Amino acid sequence: MTKGLRISGVSQHFAEGSNRITALDQVSITVEPGEFVAVVGPSGSGKSTFLSIAGALLKASEGDVQLNGQNMSKLSARELSNIRLQEIGFIMQSSNLVPYLNVLDQLLIVKKMSGKVKGEDKAFAFKLLEELGLGSKLKSFPEELSGGEKQRTAIARALINNPNVILADEPTASLDTKRAHEVVSLIAHEVKSRRKAAIMVTHDERMLEYCDKVYRMEDGKLSLHTANEEAHEAQLTDGIV
Amino acid sequence: MFLAMKELMHSKMRFLMIVIIFVLIAWLVFILSGLGNGLSTLAASTFKNMKADYVVFEQGSQSSMSKSLLSEHLVAEAERLQNVRAASPMGSTMATALKGQSTKNEDKVDIAIIGINPGSFLEPAIVEGKGLSSGHPTDVIANVTMKDDGFRLGDTFQLDGSTESLTIIGFVENQTYNHVAVVFTPMAEWRKITFAAPGSDKGVADPVNAIMLQGKDIDPSTINSKLSSTDTVTRAAAVQGMPGYKEENGSIMMMLAFLLAISAFVLGVFFYVITMQKTSQFGIMKAIGASSGFLSKAIISQVFVLSLTSIVVGILLTYGTAAIMPKGMPFKLDTGLVVNYSVILLIIAVLSSLVSVRKIMKIDPLKALGRVE
Repeated sequence: MTKGLRISGVSQHFAEGSNRITALDQVSITVEPGEFVAVVGPSGSGKSTFLSIAGALLKASEGDVQLNGQNMSKLSARELSNIRLQEIGFIMQSSNLVPYLNVLDQLLIVKKMSGKVKGEDKAFAFKLLEELGLGSKLKSFPEELSGGEKQRTAIARALINNPNVILADEPTASLDTKRAHEVVSLIAHEVKSRRKAAIMVTHDERMLEYCDKVYRMEDGKLSLHTANEEAHEAQLTDGIV
Repeated sequence: MFLAMKELMHSKMRFLMIVIIFVLIAWLVFILSGLGNGLSTLAASTFKNMKADYVVFEQGSQSSMSKSLLSEHLVAEAERLQNVRAASPMGSTMATALKGQSTKNEDKVDIAIIGINPGSFLEPAIVEGKGLSSGHPTDVIANVTMKDDGFRLGDTFQLDGSTESLTIIGFVENQTYNHVAVVFTPMAEWRKITFAAPGSDKGVADPVNAIMLQGKDIDPSTINSKLSSTDTVTRAAAVQGMPGYKEENGSIMMMLAFLLAISAFVLGVFFYVITMQKTSQFGIMKAIGASSGFLSKAIISQVFVLSLTSIVVGILLTYGTAAIMPKGMPFKLDTGLVVNYSVILLIIAVLSSLVSVRKIMKIDPLKALGRVE
C-alpha cells in the first residue's frame, strides 16, 4: 500500500454561462508521509479547487486521487465524509472553530463524530493541546483566544483523529509575523514528528522556509518551483507570489 | 446530544427566549383543552358517566332527549333483545329550584331533573346520604355542587312554576347536564313534573325520553327493527346530540387546532432561522468529516430537549393556574388529556425542525470554506 497522497492527471472544469472554465489542468503531485509541501500562486489560479479535491470535498472531473492507496474518485458522498473524518486533517484560514465549544471540546467533537469518546482519546487530546502550548486554555471558548491560539487549536483539531494527510488553507491569513511563524513551525514540527503528508496553500512567502517543496499554481497548472534547501533562498529572491 | 447540550449551555439567552414562547403556547394549549374538557363535562357529565352503551330514542328525534318521547313498556321488550344485558328508562327536564319563598337572585338555582328507576344501573353512586326509593317519590339525590348554592342534606325545595317540592336525601358527584347540576328523581315524580300540563305527553302511556341499554355487542339496526319507530345510537352519539354540545365543543376544538397549526409554524420558523445562522458552522463541521446524520441528530435532540422543558413548565403553569381559578370555572384537566396534548406538541415541534434538518442535508461544506473559486 502506498502511503501519503498521490494526485495524478487531475483536471477540473466548471461551466460558467456558456463557457467552460478549466480550474485545474492535468495536475499531478505526490506527497510522501513526513513531507511538508507548499502550494503558492495568485488568487484565481486554482489553489482552492486543488485543495478541495485533495481534501475529498470535491470530485475531480478527470484524473485520480489516491489516499493511502485508496482511489477516492469512486467513493460515495458518505464514504468521502468518512475519509475526511478519518484520514484528513483540515486547518482552515481563520481557524473556524465551533463558537460554543471550549478548546478541549473542539477536539472531542471530532471524536464524537465517529462514535464514543474513549479515555485514550481524551488523553491524546490533552497531550496534543499540551504540545501546542494550550495546556492552560482547555476550558476557554474561541472568543477568549488570540488568533494564534485559535489557529493552534485548529492544528490540534486536525491531528486528533491521527489522519495521514494534513491540508492547511492559508493558515496564517489573519496572523502577524511572529504568530504566523509560530503556527507554521508548529505545523511543520507535527508533520515531521508524526509522519504526515502535508500540503499548505499560502500567499505568505515568509512561511516557505518550513516547507520541503514549493509548488506554484498558475492558471490551473501546477509546477515544482523549489525543493528542499533551496526553499529558504526562494523567499529572498522574489519570484514567488 | 453533546453538541446540542453544549450549545444550549453556551447561548442560554437565545434558547431561553424560544423556551418562553414555547411555554406560552403550551400553556395556552393546556388551558384551552382544560376549558373545553370542563365545558363538555358540564354539558354532559351525567351522560358520559352513565354505565350505558347505547341509547334508544324516538325515531326522528336527532338523538336528543328533549325531542324524544317513548313509552316505558318498550323497556321490557328491549331487555329481551339480542345482546342487551339490561335496559332502563330515563327522562330529563330543565327546572329551577327555589329555596323557600325567597325572591333573591341567589336563591333561584337552575337544575336538570333526570328521572330514573330507583336502583337501576342509571342511579349513580351516593357520596353522602342515601339513594332513591320508589316508596318516597319526592326524595331526590342531587349533584354535590348544589351545596355551594346553599342546599343541605334534608333540605326541601320548591320547583319554580310547579306545585311539586323535593327533598334532598343524598348527594352524588360529577353529575351535570346542560351546564347545570342534576337532580335525580324517581320516574313517577319526573313524570308529574314534566307532564303537568294536560296533553303534553302526546298520549304516550308511561312516557320516558329515552331508554338506556347495556351490552357491548348491541347492533343498533336490530334494535330499531324490533322496536317500532325507534332510533338507537351509541352513548357518544347521544352526547353529540345534546343541544349546543357539538357547537360548543367544535369552537373550542377549532381554536385548539388553529393554535397547534400556528405553533407548528412559529416553532418551525424559529428553529429554521437558528439553523440558518449556523450554516457556515455546520459546513465547517461537514468539511472536517461530520455526517449530515450527526448534525441532524444534534438539531433534533436540541429541539426535543427544548420542547420537553417547555412542555413540562407549561404543565406546571397550567396546574398552577387551575389552582387559583375561581371555583365555578368550567375547567377540568385530566392526566390523559395533558399527556395527549404534550405528545402532540412534542411531535409538532420535532416535525417542524425537520425543515431545518433538510437545510442541513443540503449544506455544501465547500461553500462553508468560503473560498470557492
